[in-house]
Amino acid sequence: MKIVIVGAGSVGRYMAEQLVASGNDVSLIDNDAKALNRADRPELERVLGDGCELSTLERAGLHEVDVVAAVTGDDEDNLVVALLAKQEFAVPRVVARVNNPNNEWMFNDMWGVDVSVSTPHLLTALVEEAVSVGSFVRIMGLENGKAQLAEVTLAEGSPAIGRTVHGLGLPRDAAVVAVMRQGHVVLPREDLPLQQGDEVMVLITGDGESDVRATLVGETA
Amino acid sequence: MNIFRKRHSNCEPADVASTPISQAAVRRPVTVCGQVVRIKTRPAAGLPSLVVSIADDSGTATAVWSGRRDIGGVTLGRRIILEGVGAPTAGGPVFMNPAYTLLADH
Repeated sequence: MKIVIVGAGSVGRYMAEQLVASGNDVSLIDNDAKALNRADRPELERVLGDGCELSTLERAGLHEVDVVAAVTGDDEDNLVVALLAKQEFAVPRVVARVNNPNNEWMFNDMWGVDVSVSTPHLLTALVEEAVSVGSFVRIMGLENGKAQLAEVTLAEGSPAIGRTVHGLGLPRDAAVVAVMRQGHVVLPREDLPLQQGDEVMVLITGDGESDVRATLVGETA
Repeated sequence: MNIFRKRHSNCEPADVASTPISQAAVRRPVTVCGQVVRIKTRPAAGLPSLVVSIADDSGTATAVWSGRRDIGGVTLGRRIILEGVGAPTAGGPVFMNPAYTLLADH
């Protein structure tokens, strides 16, 4: 895939290196030559310039790319990059980083953002996930909040223990996508019986959350 | 690349160098001209966007303007010029916030 990353801070450089290592064609844009020079993998294309300028984005070949990731430390810059990528280059997939959670509401398709990632939000979810057994944890939102990935670690007394994935009777717009058991990923086949301590990952769209919560946790939200 | 697109308000439709919609390149700046055949408002993340489809003899293109419910003069049957960068879809190119010019009825 052709990917352009705007912002060569630690996040952008790390992403660029990972994506190059997995065989993608990656360009990294920043207006700070020092930051760009720190990312010196030979396969990585580096473009010096302001990612909020059309000329820079054009130089990086935005007319051809599959994905643009705007991951600078500045939310305004990330929004400008996302809007230009969508409006002036019709990039199919635009990912943007949210630095200040108060700005998250703006990261939607009005600004050309297909997927937003908020570090503080993700950290909160991961901390919650680390400390909670038997409660419902939202890990991340997808498709502009229309879908979400959530996790429940089955505590003693959960109504799901002993039932199969099929037997849970989850609503149509929710699906068990994986079960983690003793550090291993178990495929959620329909006849898989659930045990205490299983971490159940569920993908939910629409209003399925309260049903899923009732099925896996037991309480009603 | 020039973000300031040409204005055609004083042009005759015949003078505008537009491309037949079916031959318009996607993901490149293009100018297309056609008759408004469909208008729809849809909510996008709580804010409205205006979706307008235009057609010429060759095909259909769609413009999406975010943050507004209507544009004065953009009415069914009106001929308009759109300038922007189209994203490819099964239903023809989709332009996000293109520049537009209303053409006089004749």
